[in-house]
Amino acid sequence: MGGYFKEIFDGVHSLVTGMGVTLKYLFQPVVTEQYPYVAPTMPDRFRGHIELVGDEETGATKCIVCGMCQKACPSGCITVAGEKVEGVKGKVLTKYDLDFTKCSLCGICVESCKPGAITFSKEYNLAGLRKEAYIYDLKKRLEERKR
Amino acid sequence: MSEMACDKHKETFVLNMGPQHPATHGVLRVKLVMDGEYIVEAEPVLGYIHRMHEKMGENRTWAQFMPNMGRLDYLGALSYNHGYAAAVERAAGIAVPERAEYIRVMTVELNRISSHLLWMGAYLLDLGGFTPLLYAFDDREKILDMLERVTGSRLTYCYFRFGGLYNDVDDQFLAEAKGFVARLRSRLPMYHTLVTKNVILMQRLKGIGVIDADMCRRYGVTGPVARGSGLNYDVRKNEPYSVYPQFDFDVPVYTEGDSMARYMVRMDEIEQSLRIVEQAIDGLPDGPVMAEKVPKIVKPPKGDYYHAVEAARGSFGVRLVSNGTNTPYRMKLRSPTYSNLSLLAEVAKGVTVADAVAFMGSLDLVIPEIDR
Amino acid sequence: MLRDRIKTALAALSPLEITETDHAKKGYDLDVQVSPDQVPAAAEAIRQEEFFIEAVTGVDWFGEQAAIVAEAAKVKAAAAKKAAAAAAAAAEAGGEAVPPAPAPEAPAEEAELLPDVMEVVYDFSHYQENCRVVVRTRVPRDNPELPTISSIFQGANWHERETHDFFGIRFLGHPDLTPLLLPEDADFHPLLKDFKA
Repeated sequence: MGGYFKEIFDGVHSLVTGMGVTLKYLFQPVVTEQYPYVAPTMPDRFRGHIELVGDEETGATKCIVCGMCQKACPSGCITVAGEKVEGVKGKVLTKYDLDFTKCSLCGICVESCKPGAITFSKEYNLAGLRKEAYIYDLKKRLEERKR
Repeated sequence: MSEMACDKHKETFVLNMGPQHPATHGVLRVKLVMDGEYIVEAEPVLGYIHRMHEKMGENRTWAQFMPNMGRLDYLGALSYNHGYAAAVERAAGIAVPERAEYIRVMTVELNRISSHLLWMGAYLLDLGGFTPLLYAFDDREKILDMLERVTGSRLTYCYFRFGGLYNDVDDQFLAEAKGFVARLRSRLPMYHTLVTKNVILMQRLKGIGVIDADMCRRYGVTGPVARGSGLNYDVRKNEPYSVYPQFDFDVPVYTEGDSMARYMVRMDEIEQSLRIVEQAIDGLPDGPVMAEKVPKIVKPPKGDYYHAVEAARGSFGVRLVSNGTNTPYRMKLRSPTYSNLSLLAEVAKGVTVADAVAFMGSLDLVIPEIDR
Repeated sequence: MLRDRIKTALAALSPLEITETDHAKKGYDLDVQVSPDQVPAAAEAIRQEEFFIEAVTGVDWFGEQAAIVAEAAKVKAAAAKKAAAAAAAAAEAGGEAVPPAPAPEAPAEEAELLPDVMEVVYDFSHYQENCRVVVRTRVPRDNPELPTISSIFQGANWHERETHDFFGIRFLGHPDLTPLLLPEDADFHPLLKDFKA
């Protein structure tokens, strides 16, 4: 009989002490990030989708169309094309498309890029209704940013 | 299974739990033949999120397969990174600098803590307690923020490379990690007051879903489930890899074999992981985080290789077969929960649905890792 | 020691091959090659020593035999070429005095093209000691059949089902070989090397 009442007492005690913990929390400041009102800042190494890097002075792309990123990508989401232009050493970038629907943000492309022509963007607010919205023309984006 | 359900003289019926059921934590379906509220037979139906990672491995280079490791066990992705990197390093004979191994251990253990915290929150949610989830996520968020600063992603990490790491950690990370160890240590008693000592939890977990050591052996059960059944088996201790032998930590073992024992093992493991993280921060050597002589295109010599690591859910093994080229010939991924779940049919016989949920939750299932 | 004990126990079954391997290099301690019908006996011997089952998997050695034949032909051609070159060199150096080297063996006896095989690999590990045992067996690729071990290690049930899913290897006596990870009506085996999606 004594065991029975002890069990009830211990049970109620455990519940009350548990409630005590939650009660204490009630008077503590909110820890949740108030997202739409307060936008989080992304850390330096945050891996968003890739973006072409412009030269600091001219704003032109650093890409030399070596195709290493295209080769390194596990999902085949990068398409690079270039052409020979007279008077310019090497190839000139004509197309840099990223199919972001397939990208898994692993960053192998950025690692493989010798001239440092691509980097991660800090974009995390991406939403769209159509697949086509995620096939990015990175060359165009770079030119738009230059302006 | 169907025979039993078709028998008109037995008043049994089939109940589908899942594939969309909050307590199966993903797309697992369990076909249950019920007799009233009691389970007569249980049969897990897998494959709803099967992606054939093993075939993917045969179609890309060794390095390109690394991002896949974050997609198997998305809650403990760094252990999987570690297992795969270590397996390829063993095959190709790449030595990893000590600093890199220390950082690997540090991040893997932080990842383990975050996985256990999430498990605790989600498990208690299954059992009907909502509050602990919010507290656990508060702590877990700190880990995610720390790892995000270092690795660049919050969940599907792809941080380790053959021969080292993607990039080094900085002093801010070390300071934050140190602060986190102190913080979580001070909060663990709170969890025990709020949850562990709770009478409802004890009533629902004690004596539920008992697994004995022999059953573990027959089914190949590893990880916290085996340790909750009195088996002192931890790959970090039994088959030491990386720099784990340099750290002083205990392997929590409980002999009861019930859901409560598995709960206690994981809670104690958080403490032990904190100890490892603390020691790794204090003893972090200087030096490079990438081996010098790593070939640009890794081509392990012909043969097959095995490497196991202790992931948050048990022993994760990679069996590689290389034919000396830049793509794997065969890649077997041995995932711990696959074996751990296979005993469900035996344990769930004759228990109520509510107890089956309490048992399944205590296995810590992550479905993408089972289905691969 | 466990490793020696299990080695003796398995050697008693007279397996095709049994080798001790370097754990640091390979990741396992004992590599046992058996014939398909010896698998249950080997599993039983391993169970007696309280090992647990880690995994069962397959490897498709499609094109292996053709490669062996090609390699043999290449080696032979190289040898013939070398012999011919040596003979020519000797002839040049010694003039007429040296008799011409005997003609290389007739190319008629080409290495026979054996049918391809599939390998079934069983991984076992131990809870107390650091010892991993790998049991492998080879089954013909056109009729892959071998006895199940799911009555010895219940955990092998799912692993064998998975192996059947991926490779089409039939485990005789297995209670239920319906697809586990693949769709329930799947009639293809994706890990075969000649599988094209």
